[in-house]
Amino acid sequence: MKQFFLASILAGAMALPAFATDYTILAPAGPGGGWDQTARSLQTALQDEGISERVQVVNVPGAGGTIGLAQFASQQKGKADALIVGGYVMVGAILTNKSPVSLQDVTPIARLTGESVALVVPAASPLMSVADLVTALKADPGSVSWGGGSAGGVDHILAGLFAKAADVDPTKINYIAFSGGGEALAAILGSQVTVGVSGYGEFEAQIKAGTLRLLATSGDARVPGADAPTLTEAGLDVVVQNWRMVAAAPGLSDEQKAAVTADIQKLATSKTWQDMLKTKNWQDTYLSGAEFDAQLAKDISSTEAILKDIGLVQ
Amino acid sequence: MNTFEYLLQGFAVASQPMYLFYALIGVTLGTLVGVLPGIGPALTVALLLPVTYQLDPGGSLIMFAGIYYGGMYGGSTTSILLNTPGESASIVTALEGNKMARAGRGGPALATAAIGSFVAGLFATIALAFIAPYIVKFALAFGPREYFALMVLAFVTVSAAFGDSTLRGLTSLFIGLALAIIGIDQLTGQTRLAFDVPDLLDGIEVTTLAVAMFAIGETLFVAAQGKRAPDKVEAVKGSLWMSKEDWKRSWKPWLRGTAIGFPIGAMPAGGADVSSFLSYSTEKQFSKHPEEFGHGAIEGVAGPEAANNASAAGTLVPLLTLGLPTTATAAIMLAGFQQFGLQPGPLLFATNPELVWGLIASLLIANFMLLVLNLPLIGLWVRLLTIPKPWLYAGILVFATLGTIGANPSVFELGMLLTFGLLGYFMRVFGYPIAPVVVGLILGPMAEQQLRRALAISQGDFSVLVTSPIAAGLLLLAALALIVPLVLRARGRGDVLTKMATDED
Amino acid sequence: MNEAPVKQAEERRPDWAALAIAAVLVVIALVIFLDASRLREMMGYSPVGPASVPMAIAGALVVLAIWTVFAGFRGDFPKREHQEIAPVAWIVGGLAAQMLLLTTAGFSIATGMLFALTAAGFGKRKFWISIPLGIVISFVVWAVFSQLLKLSLPAGPLEQLFF
Repeated sequence: MKQFFLASILAGAMALPAFATDYTILAPAGPGGGWDQTARSLQTALQDEGISERVQVVNVPGAGGTIGLAQFASQQKGKADALIVGGYVMVGAILTNKSPVSLQDVTPIARLTGESVALVVPAASPLMSVADLVTALKADPGSVSWGGGSAGGVDHILAGLFAKAADVDPTKINYIAFSGGGEALAAILGSQVTVGVSGYGEFEAQIKAGTLRLLATSGDARVPGADAPTLTEAGLDVVVQNWRMVAAAPGLSDEQKAAVTADIQKLATSKTWQDMLKTKNWQDTYLSGAEFDAQLAKDISSTEAILKDIGLVQ
Repeated sequence: MNTFEYLLQGFAVASQPMYLFYALIGVTLGTLVGVLPGIGPALTVALLLPVTYQLDPGGSLIMFAGIYYGGMYGGSTTSILLNTPGESASIVTALEGNKMARAGRGGPALATAAIGSFVAGLFATIALAFIAPYIVKFALAFGPREYFALMVLAFVTVSAAFGDSTLRGLTSLFIGLALAIIGIDQLTGQTRLAFDVPDLLDGIEVTTLAVAMFAIGETLFVAAQGKRAPDKVEAVKGSLWMSKEDWKRSWKPWLRGTAIGFPIGAMPAGGADVSSFLSYSTEKQFSKHPEEFGHGAIEGVAGPEAANNASAAGTLVPLLTLGLPTTATAAIMLAGFQQFGLQPGPLLFATNPELVWGLIASLLIANFMLLVLNLPLIGLWVRLLTIPKPWLYAGILVFATLGTIGANPSVFELGMLLTFGLLGYFMRVFGYPIAPVVVGLILGPMAEQQLRRALAISQGDFSVLVTSPIAAGLLLLAALALIVPLVLRARGRGDVLTKMATDED
Repeated sequence: MNEAPVKQAEERRPDWAALAIAAVLVVIALVIFLDASRLREMMGYSPVGPASVPMAIAGALVVLAIWTVFAGFRGDFPKREHQEIAPVAWIVGGLAAQMLLLTTAGFSIATGMLFALTAAGFGKRKFWISIPLGIVISFVVWAVFSQLLKLSLPAGPLEQLFF
């Protein structure tokens, strides 16, 4: 009896880790940035929802997330309790930085949030619509300056795709890279550049206040509450979404992968997570499994193609 | 309600005893974490922000204001006492402040920094409340060419920090510029001088370089003096407090520092470091005792410290009115504001007046608390110098590396810390000034990128660089700053020579 | 400290340190030049491309090197004070120890070694006091920053024992 009792306690103690995994999340960015915030929100939600007992966040910043990715792929192989946060920016950074490690070297689990990229002009600009912008671009590509984030980033990619869809040589676009969307916003507000390209959230307040005019957004659907077409609706076959995802370590068994996916699924539908998305103003674009894998593969190939067209990748 | 009533209401809320207590906790935490070398305001705010989430919105807002101002101020203490600035905005403070501390005048140096920060914080926060919309218009008028002109002016004026040799000052500056090339070129995405090392792709972190060259370089240099250097420094010679003369020499730099710091802090590509450089050189120009610069001139502490705190308030201008985070610290704050349900942007003042004015009242109270906390602490901080050197410097290195490891726990980063520490040591041995290296690393990429942006926008037309009135004005100022001292020196040389001749006997 | 440059005859000799510094500057300039010349000139619309500024800096470094050589021959370099090598070696050793131990032994032990070796550089060589003291201080720092403030600092066996 006594032995049975002891054995059951032991068995219980050993079984415990199977119920709740103590996750370690790698944020491939410094404290405070977007990926860091995603990682820390995941941490809070996983703990508060009781999906995981204890979650740790580790920051490994640098080079568009590729340094963190490389470290994660090599050091966490086969560990079912390791997660990394990433996003579309990484897709471009892997290509432009010629990173030896790519997203194929980790196990993508699910897309969590996403944001449409917005094209804006100052309120006083003569450009009223996407058609006007296309006309101006065709007339003289150099005279249209695009202000957005760093070279090879999602903003630059969108500008390139836009030109290509409008039958303009993408290498001829006059893209002015600023450090982050903030500085680009200042440049567009000061009418230093013709068009502003950045995440919708970055421009939202200005659009609502009427100081900037929204020409179009880049997602597959309109941004709720925004009075502008998608690029597809405006006649250009371009869809770009700046998404954030969570991935697990490489070399997991199918059961392990399924367990992690189940945990993330539980998280994504939880109230804590949903409330968090609301306070942070993040769009819920949850996508997992084969659908996510297909989407990812499509994004990677189209990004590679356009970066070659722009001339950033040879 | 009008502006003033909102502000009064904000004060009424923020001055409840419990909130005052939160403000005190905020500035204490902010100062304590910010004072550690290597942990700048961005990291301080990022680390302490979650602490505020436990409180109600009003309480967390006021504690947050305290943390922000406390973190901004904290960096100056170690700069002055130990010559180890932990962030770029305190570098010039170390130039004069540490010389003062070594002469037993650490007390007055800390006092003028604390009071200067208070004065600057007070005026800049009031300016934030009343003239933010105008300032932001001015700041938005700055495009790439105007920034390029501002950088040219900043470059010309760094020479104020060159010390006694133009050759060695320039060499230091160009070493900094060379280091600045390393990493991905932001405008074309190509890597420069990274030699396929992924850790170098983002370039050299300014904090890593500053901590290495100052904190580690200084430690090595002091250690290499061996037994010749006294084991303890005489912490206080004369008064711990500022003398009448100190006050007289400080108040104008405080005001000038505020006037420089606030607008530059409000510019999207400005920042506390640039404004502290400009303030330092301005004070050197205006000072009645320019010969004291480099040997402990109180103006050189008062001005830059006021400037960097004023730009801390200035940073809030684009953040609140445009929703535009212009520094790493501001980006973290933006995340914080969202927690309070405050959505910065052009409509903020109209839609959320209580919160905005609550924040401004909180900032004013936090600013006052900072003074209340720090003036009595000066006596304690100065006593830091009486800790026996082995333990003091061992402790400095623990915290200096903590900041680097905390921001990026990589062996490579620690390797850079060691390499640049040695570089800082050798430069000290051969009499090269340290500050220009860091200044070059900060200003170099800004100047290069803005120039290339301006030329890309104009499609290669160089004339745009001088055709904007603001850019032309700044370039003219830069030209004057370069030429006038040369002329004066040429004219003055004769006088000095005759004076030296008469001094001989 | 470098007033009265013309003092004694021995200062007419070239300053070898100045020549060495000049050589280092030339080497840096060369590295920048080689690196910049391999860049693709993606000018876009700006006549100042990614290689222009590095080339200018390399040029300036060469000029500064030449100037340094002249200054060295003229004896314009300040007199250097005697430097003791041993303390510097201790502290560099401490930083190296921390760097190598950080990922395996964790923050507290690695930083504790840095603490003790730095103290040794300043003359406190009683390691049976300074090493434990350093580890305790570092552990407290680790606990406050990683547990209270959620900074990610590497944990080793010692940290895992407690948390």
